[in-house]
Amino acid sequence: MKIAISADGPDSGAKVAQKLGTARYMIIVDMENGDYEAVQNPVASAQRGAGIQIVLLAVDKGAETIVTGYCSPAIADQLRANGIEVLTGIADTVGEVIEQYRKGEWGKFPGEVSALDAKERKLHRSALIYTARSAAKQFINILPILIGVVLLIGLFNTFITKDILTSVFSGNMILDTLRGALFGSILAGNPINSYIIGGELLNYGISLFAVTAFIITWVTVGLVQLPAEITTLGRRFALLRNGISFILSIPIAIITVIIVNLVKRWFV
Amino acid sequence: MLLFPFMVLLLYGILFALMPEKILAALMRSGTILLNMIVPLLLVFVLMVLLNLFLNTAQISRFLGRGAGIRGILLPAVAGIISTGSIYVWYPLLRNVRERGAGDSSIAIFLYNRAVKPFLLPVMVGYFGWVYVAVLTVCTVLGSFVVGYLLDAIPSERSP
Repeated sequence: MKIAISADGPDSGAKVAQKLGTARYMIIVDMENGDYEAVQNPVASAQRGAGIQIVLLAVDKGAETIVTGYCSPAIADQLRANGIEVLTGIADTVGEVIEQYRKGEWGKFPGEVSALDAKERKLHRSALIYTARSAAKQFINILPILIGVVLLIGLFNTFITKDILTSVFSGNMILDTLRGALFGSILAGNPINSYIIGGELLNYGISLFAVTAFIITWVTVGLVQLPAEITTLGRRFALLRNGISFILSIPIAIITVIIVNLVKRWFV
Repeated sequence: MLLFPFMVLLLYGILFALMPEKILAALMRSGTILLNMIVPLLLVFVLMVLLNLFLNTAQISRFLGRGAGIRGILLPAVAGIISTGSIYVWYPLLRNVRERGAGDSSIAIFLYNRAVKPFLLPVMVGYFGWVYVAVLTVCTVLGSFVVGYLLDAIPSERSP
């Protein structure tokens, strides 16, 4: 059986780290053969994702128990779901922890979260209630933002009419493609609407480049949904993803139309 | 978190004073969107519960994490293509799998591939022709891989 101990240093004299996510080292000890391994925590200084890396490290090393000073309930849940027991409230040195474990003095530890094994996790009714409650909580958290987004979409779709759309296109291929991408980013809803509006724009003589950029960004970029995306997936991710998707829509539109024209000329 | 919906409500209030008919029309449209969201939201909720029950962090990381390789590209691409409903309905599920080890590129690939709608392709063909639809579909899927790659390649501010 292996135990993982969060530690401030690599040797057995090091203190047990008080925060699991930011521990400088994880000491992996095989209690059967005495193997001792000190693994430097590569994300000790990172804020986001540090906890999840510890979970992955513990799973990867085959640890069945984690010993630490403090572990957030969310990470404890993750460890528990992966079949790993969590013992908290420890302020001793690594060597002392190993010794206490050998003597079977687990009862002395102030905090303990028992692990669910894989079979139990699948069948346990409380696990189902827990996961359903957790999912419901995440939905409830995002609900006000979702309602705000939907109200904003209703507003945009009411005020931005087909006439407004057609009036801003000038006939300049590059500028119109940019404008198409911009309108697609602002508007949202069922993609079928983008096909219908795109088809109408083509009938009004708007270039296929602009219409293609419009159709692409309709789904891939969401300015109206941006607050919801930032709230759930983080500012960096949301801004980068939408920015890259917007910029990329221009070359994709141009490449698509060029290939379509070539294919039609050669094969159709 | 409540600032954004509050600002939207404020905007509705101001515009209602100026043009009540248009705002009532906007409310009706929003109501229809909300009603259409109920079924996809329930579907996503059930999916989240099942994922939490049967997939643990290590498995999600193996399939969708940074080191997932080709699986981390193809799985979210296929999932994005077959997923239904509004994009924002999927945000809670995406946050959930991300917190449990999925990489940013996998999430981005999923979101981008939602532009490919197999059930709507016949409608699109009706408007633009099959050649256009085929080329755009391929370019969109390839574009999703570029977005995923760039999201992982651009270093975050906190990276060492």
